[in-house]
Amino acid sequence: MPDQPLDLPQGTLDLLILRTLSFGPQHGWGISERVQQVSSDVLRIQQGSLYPALHRLERKAWIKARWGTSENNRRAKYYELTKKGRRQLEVEQDAWKRLTAAVAQVLEPI
Amino acid sequence: MLDDFLFRVRSLFRKKAVEAELDDELRFHMNGQLDKLLKSGLPREEALRRVRREFGVLDHVKEECREARGVSIVEAGWQDIRYALRWLRKAPAFTAVALITLTLGIATTATMFSVVYGVLLRPLPYRNASRLIVLNETTPKVGLVSVNYLNYLDWRAQSRAFSQMAAVCGVSFTLAADPPENVGGAAVSSNLLSMMGLQPLLGRDFEASEDQAGAAPVALLNYQFWQSHFGGQQSVVGRSLALDDRNFTIVGVLPPDFRLIDRADIVEPIGTWATNEPGAKYRGQRGDTIVIASMAQGVALPQARAEMEGIAARLAKAYPDTNDRFGVALRPIRDVLSGDLRPAILALFAAVVFVLLIACTNVANLFLLRCAGRGREVALRIAVGAGRGRMIRQFLTESLVLAAFGGLLGSACAFWGIRGVARLLPHTLAGETLALNGAVLLFVAVVVVICALLFGLAPSLRAARADVQSGLRESGRNASGGLGQGRLRETLAVAEISLALILLIGAGLMIKSLSRLLSVDPGFRPERLVTMKMSLQGAKYATGPAILHFWDGVLDAVRALPGVKAAALGTVVPFASDHSRADITLENMELPVPGAFPHPDVHFVSPAYVSTLGLRLERGRAFTDADNSDAPRAAMINAMLAQRFFAVEDPIGKRFMFGHPSQERPPRWLTIVGVVGDTRLYGLADPARLEVYVPFRQSVRDEMSLIVRSERDPNALISSLRAAVASVDKQQPVFDAASMEELISRSVETRRTTLILLGLFGALALALAAVGVYGVISYSVAQRSHEIGIRIALGAQRGGVLSMILGRGARIAGAGALIGVAASLGLTRFMASLLFSVGADDPFIFAAAAALMALVAMLACYIPALRALRVDPIVALRHE
Repeated sequence: MPDQPLDLPQGTLDLLILRTLSFGPQHGWGISERVQQVSSDVLRIQQGSLYPALHRLERKAWIKARWGTSENNRRAKYYELTKKGRRQLEVEQDAWKRLTAAVAQVLEPI
Repeated sequence: MLDDFLFRVRSLFRKKAVEAELDDELRFHMNGQLDKLLKSGLPREEALRRVRREFGVLDHVKEECREARGVSIVEAGWQDIRYALRWLRKAPAFTAVALITLTLGIATTATMFSVVYGVLLRPLPYRNASRLIVLNETTPKVGLVSVNYLNYLDWRAQSRAFSQMAAVCGVSFTLAADPPENVGGAAVSSNLLSMMGLQPLLGRDFEASEDQAGAAPVALLNYQFWQSHFGGQQSVVGRSLALDDRNFTIVGVLPPDFRLIDRADIVEPIGTWATNEPGAKYRGQRGDTIVIASMAQGVALPQARAEMEGIAARLAKAYPDTNDRFGVALRPIRDVLSGDLRPAILALFAAVVFVLLIACTNVANLFLLRCAGRGREVALRIAVGAGRGRMIRQFLTESLVLAAFGGLLGSACAFWGIRGVARLLPHTLAGETLALNGAVLLFVAVVVVICALLFGLAPSLRAARADVQSGLRESGRNASGGLGQGRLRETLAVAEISLALILLIGAGLMIKSLSRLLSVDPGFRPERLVTMKMSLQGAKYATGPAILHFWDGVLDAVRALPGVKAAALGTVVPFASDHSRADITLENMELPVPGAFPHPDVHFVSPAYVSTLGLRLERGRAFTDADNSDAPRAAMINAMLAQRFFAVEDPIGKRFMFGHPSQERPPRWLTIVGVVGDTRLYGLADPARLEVYVPFRQSVRDEMSLIVRSERDPNALISSLRAAVASVDKQQPVFDAASMEELISRSVETRRTTLILLGLFGALALALAAVGVYGVISYSVAQRSHEIGIRIALGAQRGGVLSMILGRGARIAGAGALIGVAASLGLTRFMASLLFSVGADDPFIFAAAAALMALVAMLACYIPALRALRVDPIVALRHE
């Protein structure tokens, strides 16, 4: 039995997308599936926010899109990290780690 | 930043492809999700339902993607504009009324702004124009007076606050031509042009050596004069020009934007003027001279003023006989050029801003009405995914599109308006400075945006607060005509009435002061009088007998003309804007300090002057032909002088002399033979001054005005009068011919123009406010027809219904009148300088304007009120 799905904290969606794409090009559906899988169904991305986020990242030139063919032979839009995106991922990962570490420290029993 | 912009633009141009891709992408996702759910064993229908629910409203997602891509701002803006255009087209009546209102408001505002800009704001075409100062001398006896040339030389030598000073003397020449012409000119210091940053269009500027008396006569031609008299020929430089029997060499042509305070067709160096000008050698004489000076870098006006006052005080001490109590006035050149128009222009501009505000209020009201029916549409659009921000943008776009059309039409109308107004301006403010130029267009653009915000804001905020649920549930008609909006509209109507009332009160005050002004007794009878000037120059009029011979010839020739009732000669004819004043010393008077001697206007007149002008002879006798050079010197004084100095005794037979008594000269007494009534010499609003009259045979003048009382229309006489003068000397020019009534009318020109425009704007404001009140009341009647129907069905008396609606109108009108009166009390004192013998808080005008406004407002309510009475209860009830 998986844990109850969690709502994503503000601002983490970009990080999840960038991280997922660091393993290779992926389409939107693939990204959301993968996040769900890897997080053992704890994290679930709302489709209503995934696509606007993808388009926003594309505009920031952190990811770029091209059309390809999916596993089941359908035309799909694949996103991949750009160099700028890779750098951004490092920045955000680092920030996230520091944030969680700090939060954990605060929550630690005295 | 640039990348981002390119991305947006690319998205915009590839709009179709991007949209299709977005569709494909989302469909791919949905299919993936669907496959997954089907695989997990859900029935197809359930799977589809879940996918759809998960995705939410598809349009919403798309809209957000578009927004994320950033195209939406540009694209949505274009969409909004198209939508707004469609929306405006759909309601032609609304659009037409709103557009007409806006066009009127913007056109009047733009027209007046062109005047404000042209007269008060436009950068003057001079270098460092803000540092150019016009200097005059002042004396407590008169106020501003001309500058004496010797004083100017001392100023120039002693002043440090000014880096340069130049004298400008008004002169006139007789130009030998057919017909002979009197041309206005100026004698200027050689540094004037370069100080103002101007260069001759052709030829050369004056040289410093030409500032000295005795320099060979040279002249620069005014651009217009060059065009009209020399056809704009380049070869004019070096040619000679015969002026007053002297040959001037033309050394150049002035640039077109060279403008002095008075028109100067021919400009000569000050040295040429000083050569044969007594005023250049004697400190007591003042011609028609001003000084233009450029303040040194870093010097402010108060500093310069303090320095000049110090110099004047030193001169007054050094030359008490001529300079006692003389001071210096410093005025920025722009103030001098705009003359006394500034308060009138500002008052009128304030008036058109009020008209514009009323127009905007009207349009805001229309917008609110229009939007009342759109509650449902707004709710629907928000429900299907349009953000509230987007809706506000939509409304603002609509008002902006409307305002922009208003701005276009308004500018087009202003083009004609400016032409009309340019004709109303005094000729000294060359009309060509008024134009629909870049500044005016920029102003219109700003006005358009402000208007759009003014009348687009209320409906926008309302839309932002729109409640989707109730908006969708309620029927369109009732959607948002709630109490709050009704109150807002009433407030707007109250504002309109108070604004319009302010304008009406302003116009009323102007009407009253103009009628008071025109009923002022000028001291003579102006009907059917005509006057024209002659200035005798050159060798043939070098002696007194020659001049008198000419004047006698003219009087004889003119009196022989049919239609001439009386003819006379005089100087300083009322309203002809000449002046000639002198200190006098009354026999046996206690001698005051030099600066406090009586300083009357001096008229040199022919015997028939009193009877021709229709002056009141209060005592003694008028001059006769016997008052000639052989007879004892005679004079008449005016009633004011008689009263001030001979309050108890009879002035007849008493004596006075010109100037101050001095040891060297034996006094030359004039004996007072008559007393005549005061005249208004310089304008109806100007208080009477001290005046003395001297017979022209005893003091010969070479420049006089001919005054003729005609039996018929005096203007018809002008050409035969010119011919009569030509019969005496065909080389003698005649100038400034005008009927006295025309001169008087010209003297009240500013006030009349202000009145006409203010009246026009007041009427416009009144009409717009009436339309506004009508709109508010008639909408409320339409909205309440159901309620009225029930009341009538339940037995309400028609009178009760009528008073209910009129009561509402009366409340609006009353509140508007109160606020308007209160605001006017605060505002009209700013136009006090335009008023004449009327208080800025004249109770009669305030009451009359408020009554008129209230009456019009009530009439505007009466029509919809009558409509309410005709409500058929059955129809109204069935309507629900």
